[in-house]
Amino acid sequence: MFLARIDGTVVPAARHATLEGCRFLVAQRLEADGSTGAEPLVVIDWLGAAMSSTVLVSTDGDIARQRFGNTTPGRLVVVGIVDPVQAPRQSAGRTA
Amino acid sequence: MRLGIVRGSVTLSPAVPELLGLTLVVLEPVSMANLRAKNGLAGGKSLIAVDALGAAKGQMVAFTEGSEAANPFWPKRVPVDAYCTLIVDTITTSSQP
Repeated sequence: MFLARIDGTVVPAARHATLEGCRFLVAQRLEADGSTGAEPLVVIDWLGAAMSSTVLVSTDGDIARQRFGNTTPGRLVVVGIVDPVQAPRQSAGRTA
Repeated sequence: MRLGIVRGSVTLSPAVPELLGLTLVVLEPVSMANLRAKNGLAGGKSLIAVDALGAAKGQMVAFTEGSEAANPFWPKRVPVDAYCTLIVDTITTSSQP
């Protein structure tokens, strides 16, 4: 699991049949120093994470399999939204 | 899932039976800088993924990596570790880095 910042939304033109009706967000992995990863990640969200919020992402596909069935390729799932009061310091780019 | 741009396809002959009939595409993963710049460039180290959605050359897809990439073939066991899960229509990102 790792922390990530929600940075955008994805509208799919086509998707795997098991993920119909699913919400996809662009997330950037957060490092301990507040910097973000170089590559964007597409995560599945059903908790309702807002733009710029910090979320906990699990890389285990088990929770996706439970929800979407054994044949789902879903893997990165938002398993929690970090309490904004407790959220780790954001990177310098965000505080300006 | 990471994002990648389809750069081409791969045909195997011969291949292990589990891979016969699958479409394989060459993906170039997209970096955050290129995604924000919307310049059509990707910038990552390319890889091969299974595509069952019919993504065209130049389209952006999100692909699953790891053992979960073989889930769509369950209960069949296939030697697949990257799978195109969705084709991107539009992406919105905040403009700030």
